[in-house]
Amino acid sequence: MIRKVSYLAFGAALGASATFLAPDALQAVAPKAYATAAETYRQLNLFGDVFEKIRNDYVEKPDEKKLVEAAISGMLSSLDPHSSYMDADAYREMQRSTKGEFGGLGIEVTEEDGLIKVVSPIDDTPASKAGIMSGDIIAGIDGASTQGMTLDQAVDKMRGPIGSSVTLKIARGTKKELKDYKITRAVIEVQSVRGHVQDGDIGYIRITQFTEKTASGLRSTMEKLKSEIPAAKLKGYILDLRNNPGGLLDQSIEVVNDFIDKGEIVSTRGRNPDDAQRFSARPGDDLSDGKPLVVLINGGSASASEIVAGALQDHKRAVLVGTRSFGKGSVQTIMPLGDDNGALRLTTARYYTPSGRSIQAKGITPDVQVLEDVPADLKGKEENMGEASLKGHLANGKEDKSGSQAYVPPDPKSDKQLIVAVDLLHGVKKAEAPSPSPTPSSTPTSQAKDDAPKPAVTPTPEPTKSN
Amino acid sequence: MRATSFVVLGVALGMSGALVANVVSASTRGGVSGLALYRLAFEKTLANYVDAPDPAKMNEAAINGMLASLDPHSNYLDAKELKDFQTSMRGEEFGGLGLEVMQDNGLVRVVSPIDDTPAARAGVLAGDLIVKIDQTPVKGLTLKQAVDKMRGPAHTHVAITVQRGELKDDKVFDIVREIIHVQPVRSRIAGGDIGYIRITQFNEQTYDSLKAAMAKFRASGVKVKGYILDLRNNPGGLLSQSVRVVNSFIDSGEIVSTRGRTADLYQEYDARPGYNLSGGKPMVVLINGGSASASEIVSGALKDLKRATLIGTRSFGKGSVQTVLPLGEDGALKLTTARYYTPSGISIQAKGIDPDYRVLENIPDDLKGKVESMGEASLHGHLKNGTDEKKGSDAYVPPDPAKDTQLAAAIDLLHGKPPIVKASNDPVQ
Repeated sequence: MIRKVSYLAFGAALGASATFLAPDALQAVAPKAYATAAETYRQLNLFGDVFEKIRNDYVEKPDEKKLVEAAISGMLSSLDPHSSYMDADAYREMQRSTKGEFGGLGIEVTEEDGLIKVVSPIDDTPASKAGIMSGDIIAGIDGASTQGMTLDQAVDKMRGPIGSSVTLKIARGTKKELKDYKITRAVIEVQSVRGHVQDGDIGYIRITQFTEKTASGLRSTMEKLKSEIPAAKLKGYILDLRNNPGGLLDQSIEVVNDFIDKGEIVSTRGRNPDDAQRFSARPGDDLSDGKPLVVLINGGSASASEIVAGALQDHKRAVLVGTRSFGKGSVQTIMPLGDDNGALRLTTARYYTPSGRSIQAKGITPDVQVLEDVPADLKGKEENMGEASLKGHLANGKEDKSGSQAYVPPDPKSDKQLIVAVDLLHGVKKAEAPSPSPTPSSTPTSQAKDDAPKPAVTPTPEPTKSN
Repeated sequence: MRATSFVVLGVALGMSGALVANVVSASTRGGVSGLALYRLAFEKTLANYVDAPDPAKMNEAAINGMLASLDPHSNYLDAKELKDFQTSMRGEEFGGLGLEVMQDNGLVRVVSPIDDTPAARAGVLAGDLIVKIDQTPVKGLTLKQAVDKMRGPAHTHVAITVQRGELKDDKVFDIVREIIHVQPVRSRIAGGDIGYIRITQFNEQTYDSLKAAMAKFRASGVKVKGYILDLRNNPGGLLSQSVRVVNSFIDSGEIVSTRGRTADLYQEYDARPGYNLSGGKPMVVLINGGSASASEIVSGALKDLKRATLIGTRSFGKGSVQTVLPLGEDGALKLTTARYYTPSGISIQAKGIDPDYRVLENIPDDLKGKVESMGEASLHGHLKNGTDEKKGSDAYVPPDPAKDTQLAAAIDLLHGKPPIVKASNDPVQ
């Protein structure tokens, strides 16, 4: 049986993403339709001719492997922004990240007053072994000051190949004594699902990306939330998919199935009609007991996130709150090239939500649009221009090229989208228009105003990032 | 087996450089794994891509990707580009703006505007980075696509947006296309008794035009005291033409040698007696950061042979030779096949040629810091040449000859007055 694992991630996920395919899963079948065998042969001959000329006449002896890799890379990049070539290293890195692993130190960090602060070192990781402690301020990374770095930039600098080392300059305690820690990176597991009890009666679940462990992570998170909140008291769930770039298709399907009991979740269509695939919910897998659900999305919610949000919206199972999603409506398949030759990441299908729409280059419009207050220094930088602005993207009729906000305040107390979600689940009516209408409206344009009533929100240590 | 070599910087946007060349046809041996890998990727993509792809386009993107990974001067020319290229090397005409451009890390960089063309008159400068053509971002376009967008019938408009200098100010030029007549040599009497010769590029007509210019001087009745050969912002062209130009000023000696990958690919070009048209009169060569390739062969030879005094600023530093290898009806490959060496055995690759007298132009305030040519050494993926590589230099020539400090210094020197060297730098002797 051919088992095909499809993969939907947008860009290089911050430590994660995608899957790949059992070797031999896809045979290079005779090209259909467009390319006749003669034309294919002619093109391969032309390429061979060029390759030979370079081999023989170039001013230096070329590295043939690099030549072919540059060729494959050029070929794939010309197709669309999500098709690309991964060399052996990049392919290994990707396999690791789809497993929910990456090379890093094992620290949860957050941003506080412009400083990068350690929330906690993860047990049994290089960081905890080196003696990094909760509350430490990371002042420098490999000699570069973290002043002015965003949390993401700092996290990127701390991550890297397993076995490589990084030096952190740590400021500790009230005296802010500076000390260098040289730490060797190791395999760190990404926790792609986190949850906590919100305001005593809501189950808040954040999915940062769709890795191989996401579905199981979600199940255990929901079980834990149910054990913490009595069923009678549980008002509902918030599923936070903001800035989630996507990941594995099968995992997104499982996630939807945890909230619905039947019906189609998504369908994919490749070039040939017989490639069409329909994915439906398995009865009995719904863990949500039909409790109300709010899904948070923004301009950074892409791909697998949009499958989840689109399915739950079409089924009227959830109210979507936030800003328009990214708009990546295509599926990539990873095709290994054998040996140490890396792999193709190739766009092989478009996906369609249960109502049959493609969100490609359009995105999903939330039922209730809520904008966050963006700090002055980030204004204009927090917008995601979306799929429609990517050069060479798959066209899809009337597209939406405008940007969509992708900012989530570090402090949950000022997170307006979260506040609106909580209000919706609490059934809070806002007397003063034009604050967010608590009922899903067909023309979601309202915007939370600063003076809208703000219910008390228990501060929680979100968002943090691990590295 | 005949291959025409040429040394030109950038793809001519409407210009020049013909070549013929029967291909060096390669024998197939080894490398099977490399080709087989490409074949596998090509067929998998053809079979599985979400939409039916065009195999010719895929293949072209692959070839472009492969060549771009080698160095900045190796390109693929499709059939139409090859024809354009041949047209321009012959010095024939086409509708365009009059820009020499090259690819630079995904964008398109102006090597130099060609004298007396719409681009030069509009104020486009060497070193400008073209970021948009008629509102289409250049990022993601191949050099060929960008050039195609800029060319078009005479009298039509095109708007190009350029970024200039460190500050990256966007500047939009609305330019009307014209038929570009490529006149590779212009000449006049300067300073009363000096034969001024400007070579804008080395195409098939350059040597003949130079001969005509020298004949014109003789016929003018003026007793010419010396020559100024102006190679500023000349991006290069045909190797054979640069050799003939040098020979027009010397009687004997080595002009340039080229070396390919193997020892048998060594070639030396020497002056032939009887071709010197200059009567041994003193000469000054003007160079700047926009003088590249064939221009550097000429100035390097005349400097090494102590035939000329070089005035201006350091040249670009392109020390490689490209050969056009035809691919039948599929266009041709422009491939870097050799390095060249000046008579003293020096490769100027990524170093450039320092003038004997460094003389700077007075750059208008609004252009300060923006008219520097980055030079070969700052190009992504350039061929390396030791540890003492040097970046580019100014590439500004004032439109008004009366304000041209470098030209004035050249005239002064030929009149026996040492040039006024700007305090900012010591003369390199």
